[in-house]
Amino acid sequence: MATEKRKTENSATGAKDELAQAAARPAAQAAQRASASESDSGRLTLDNVSARYGAFRAVKDVTLAVRPKSVTALIGPSGCGKSTLIRTINRMHETLPGATVSGSISLDGVDLYSSDVDPVRARRVVGMVFQKPNPFPTMSISENVSSGLRLTGGTSKSEIAGIVEDSLRRAALWDEVKDKLNQPGTSLSGGQQQRLCIARTIAVKPRVVLMDEPCSALDPVATLKIEELIRDLAAEYTIVIVTHNMQQASRVSDETAFFSMDDDRAGYLVETGPTAEMFTNPKQALTEGYIQGRFG
Amino acid sequence: MSTPVASIAKLLTQPTSGERARQRINGGMRVIVGVSAFLAILPLIALILFVILKAAPYLVPTFFFNNPLDKEPGVLNAIVGSLQLSGLTVLISGPIGIAGGVYLSEFASPRVVATGETVIDVMLGVPSIVAGVFAYLILVPVLGFSGWAAVAALSILTLPIMMRSTQEVLRLVPQAIREASLALGVPVWKTALFVSVRTALPGILTGVILAFSRALGETAPLLMTARGTNAENWLDFSTTMNAMPIVIYQYSNAAGDLLIGQAWATALILMVIALTINVLVRGRTVNSRTA
Repeated sequence: MATEKRKTENSATGAKDELAQAAARPAAQAAQRASASESDSGRLTLDNVSARYGAFRAVKDVTLAVRPKSVTALIGPSGCGKSTLIRTINRMHETLPGATVSGSISLDGVDLYSSDVDPVRARRVVGMVFQKPNPFPTMSISENVSSGLRLTGGTSKSEIAGIVEDSLRRAALWDEVKDKLNQPGTSLSGGQQQRLCIARTIAVKPRVVLMDEPCSALDPVATLKIEELIRDLAAEYTIVIVTHNMQQASRVSDETAFFSMDDDRAGYLVETGPTAEMFTNPKQALTEGYIQGRFG
Repeated sequence: MSTPVASIAKLLTQPTSGERARQRINGGMRVIVGVSAFLAILPLIALILFVILKAAPYLVPTFFFNNPLDKEPGVLNAIVGSLQLSGLTVLISGPIGIAGGVYLSEFASPRVVATGETVIDVMLGVPSIVAGVFAYLILVPVLGFSGWAAVAALSILTLPIMMRSTQEVLRLVPQAIREASLALGVPVWKTALFVSVRTALPGILTGVILAFSRALGETAPLLMTARGTNAENWLDFSTTMNAMPIVIYQYSNAAGDLLIGQAWATALILMVIALTINVLVRGRTVNSRTA
């Protein structure tokens, strides 16, 4: 397969190179995307990150290191800024009127907020899956998966067909949709739509995948499928998942970060650690109380 | 101390005086609104019947295929003139209006949006005679009585319709869809065009069709600009053009049964075209809602 060959040729390319390369030529870009899963990059470092909506500070001074190719769960009571925080990682927060970010977020040492990183390019490297499945209503299943590639350009038609199949397989959806690729994406069930959105996200070959409560709109069976998928994807991508479901955090994540909010309703990081440890032997009383269901 | 409690059977079956009054009011209201509704549609029914009855004798093939000065006079030049004027109006104001609506919905800051919406409201409130006067006193001295002046006057009226309808259907596109696109690393302009506009396209086209229908029925600006002619004019917008509203206005003031009858007949054609467009648009909207 052509993509396989390209992968071996470019095995050493990392996220850093991709970000730093100012004007990526289409061919080189495609090659780099293909090599994404091979390199051992995707270390995410948040340093003193604060996020505001106008004057209101929703996230306060979060410092967090996310290991490459692992699943990090962000847990905590409603309104403590978890979703806001992950939206700062792919620079989606700033798309809202009046929303600002301070501090630094770097991926493999490159500051995602530095002046030579275009937000559009940052979003290609850091993908996102949303709370409610949001396939494009005017597009078919296969068009949904290829939308990112088609709308960002630089990928040939012949490559796209292969990437669509590959992405759907990775999203564990191929067998269910292979005979109806031309039907609307919205014709699928909620759980299938969410896996379609995951396929769409990984089709552009990101290094980091953010998931904002990806199962909260799904039934338990669909949830289980997505969780299995998240475990599989962790072999290739750095995953940060926001969840309200603590069982889910304990099932899917390697690391857990617990957030709470202070008197000004600003969210802050209480503690972080390996998931098993956080759930059995948390250091902070606040974490223990939340995990045992005493508040939140 | 406890008040005596009525039995459940009594509560359910024995009518109270208030209840009888309520039933009477109910019945009375029913009659009043029913009669009002009938009165409301009565003029419409009368209008349609009158137009059809008066027009029928004059609806002969030559009426559609001949021009006013032909031996068997018709209004072909007015029909094609109306379609050309409305068509060109939509071709010019459509892209500008749609682009303006896209700008307000997808790009503008909240403050610009508020200003823009006020401007649109003002423009929507411009009476057609005012657009006509503007074209007559400012454009006609330069362009002469012409299709171009008419198209300019009509565009003043259709531009805000197009902007408003585009902005409104784009507002119905869920924010989640835009975010999905942006999060894939798609640039803002491509998201606006290939995701937002693409999703709202049926609604945007509906706005275009309604603007066409609006332009088709406008009379005052045409009388002051295109002015009407007996000649058949294909695509020469630099000179006078005929149009159905002009024919209706002029013929109904004319002497002679033939011209007055042709005014009715032209009115029927205009009405059928406008009704057809409205019904089609309604069908589209209903379909897209249920889909």
